[in-house]
Amino acid sequence: MTTVRKRYRVGALPWIGPAMAVIFLMVLYPAFEMVKTSFMSIDATGTSHGFTGLSNYRTLFRNPNLTAVLERTVIWTISIVVLTVLISLPVAQILHAKFPGRRFVRYALIVPWAASVVMTSTSWLWILNGYYGVLNRILLSLGLIQDQKQFLGSQTQSFTWLIIVAIFVSVPFTTYVVLAGLTTIGEDILEASTVDGASGWQRYKSIIFPLLRPALLIGMVINLINVFNSFPIIWVMTTGGPGYSTDTTTTLAYKISFRNADIAQSASMATINFGIILIFIVLFLKVSRWRDDS
Amino acid sequence: MKRMTRGAAVVSALTLAVTMAVGVTPSHAATTLTMIAADYPGDGHTQQAQWTDFATRFHAANPDVTVNVIVKSWNDIDQYVATQIASGQTPDVVNKGDYSAPAAAGLLYPASKIVSAATLADILPTFLNNSKYNGVVYALPDLASARALFYNKDLLAKAGITKLPTSWLALTTDLGIIHRKLKGIYGYAIPLGPEEAQAEFNIWAGGNGGSYYNYATKAWVLDSPANIATATFLKSLTTKGYTEPNPDKCDRTACAQALFAAGKAVFINGSVFLGSWLTANGGSKINVGTGSFVSNTGHKPVTLGVQDYFTAYSKNGNQAAIQKWMDFIYQPANYAKFLVAAGGFIPATKSAGAKAASDPALAPFIKLLPNAVFYPGDIASWNSVKGQIQQGIGQAVTGDPAKVLGQLQTAAAAAK
Repeated sequence: MTTVRKRYRVGALPWIGPAMAVIFLMVLYPAFEMVKTSFMSIDATGTSHGFTGLSNYRTLFRNPNLTAVLERTVIWTISIVVLTVLISLPVAQILHAKFPGRRFVRYALIVPWAASVVMTSTSWLWILNGYYGVLNRILLSLGLIQDQKQFLGSQTQSFTWLIIVAIFVSVPFTTYVVLAGLTTIGEDILEASTVDGASGWQRYKSIIFPLLRPALLIGMVINLINVFNSFPIIWVMTTGGPGYSTDTTTTLAYKISFRNADIAQSASMATINFGIILIFIVLFLKVSRWRDDS
Repeated sequence: MKRMTRGAAVVSALTLAVTMAVGVTPSHAATTLTMIAADYPGDGHTQQAQWTDFATRFHAANPDVTVNVIVKSWNDIDQYVATQIASGQTPDVVNKGDYSAPAAAGLLYPASKIVSAATLADILPTFLNNSKYNGVVYALPDLASARALFYNKDLLAKAGITKLPTSWLALTTDLGIIHRKLKGIYGYAIPLGPEEAQAEFNIWAGGNGGSYYNYATKAWVLDSPANIATATFLKSLTTKGYTEPNPDKCDRTACAQALFAAGKAVFINGSVFLGSWLTANGGSKINVGTGSFVSNTGHKPVTLGVQDYFTAYSKNGNQAAIQKWMDFIYQPANYAKFLVAAGGFIPATKSAGAKAASDPALAPFIKLLPNAVFYPGDIASWNSVKGQIQQGIGQAVTGDPAKVLGQLQTAAAAAK
């Protein structure tokens, strides 16, 4: 028995070995280097001057923009994930229903997901352009506005538009996760409930939604991680500006490193970011195991 | 059996490949130089062809030296060079806008070792003076630019303004007239977005006796009263609608120059190459006039001079090959090609400068240069502080000037 199991384990190595090597080389080792860098003194040229303890973290915590950026990151992540789910639930329901042209609509929904995020963000950047943007053109022609608007000018407006674009990009994935969940719900259960006299809303609340929970939870956690780490939308559309007013922790880490030439301090920001994302991952593992047990 | 045959085939193929690779390597010691160069033209044009041509011709003349030139956009080059150095792949030569941080870190050859004495003697002393760290010249100026006031003659005439303003007070009055008479036209395009905010603010602050660094006290003075007053003045222009809205979001190329090219802005602080940029970007119909910058009463107008650099890193010990390569670049015929590829800049050598003085597009700027103000590029933390200024100083004009400049000052004082 034991010998069989042992042979089985060794025999598995060639198959899981490459995956383990990739995880070690591409995930664990860079993460180790990142944490190490965050404790080192590195000058603007990229030359290392050895370990300095916590001084990078101290400098980072003195950054006058940090508190606002952390708060904004929380608002950014939660608002996008919640709104995405609220939009995806009914959209998935519609796509689950049978109607002519359903296949076309389903394919159309994939487009913003399949297109590169940089491409999508660039399109929106030009749609919203304050001088030549097509949105300004349309609103002017309809007489809804009198002057051209700088949609990406002020902090509030540009941050709102960033959130809208992020939702636009996240909805397709989430909708498909929910749609996959919907297809697993057997017709017989739904028929039985109809026979028992359940109304449409009762059926959704008591049967469909509870059965969707596993799919929805996983979709949400994956979205949390994606949105939290999201870089291209913000970078392409506002580069975190004006100033630092639309930065999240991810773009701030990039700016500290490559605009302010402080790689080590940026590593400390990235390490904190990594800590927060670890919590999300633990949460994700918990969710998926909870599903196995049930 | 079958597997062994295949294995043997692989081994022999590999051996063959290795032998062949060894076979093509020349027997005597060869040097490969790596150079990282910023791409001056941008806008879809690139200097890659020019550098490849240089490298090919240089290799033909010096078969023992191969030069590999990596051309990077201005947006990426600082990041790329820092990453290369941090990962142990230090380049031999770099062509970009700063030198003091690597000089302070002891990574550079002094200029006297990068080029021959004859080449060094040909470089204009004004520029060499701006290339020192602790009194030693550590970088070679590659070219320079200067800025002047550009204006749209037709729009100015339409507003009925016949004389260029010479003080901030007169400027405010004129911008008020433009605002009233020309609907949808911005009086002054002021790009304080990240691209070139450090230049734009330096010009305005200079016209009010302000600067970034005080050489007498050896300290950053970003939040000096003169600078705060400058930001407050610019803020008043923006609030009245005399500039484009949100100057803190307005980048030089995509916003300010584009507005000027579209005939939507009357004044702009332009660089020496703005004329050729307008021609290439749909602004050839603009009737352009140039003049000197407007300063506050009691202060002289200044121009901003910007120079970039060649630096050579000593880590790989390729001093002799570097010197050959740099002398090759500065040969008058090659240097002229470099200037053409970069597009409309002021040369840094005496020989090329003499020719440029008769170029009508360059002559007025060359005259301005002796009185130009330069960035504090010799301070080791300049590149880092420049990044902070680019990101933040626009907010001094849209937000609270004293508070924003105070934050920048704190950050600059702490920069390494």
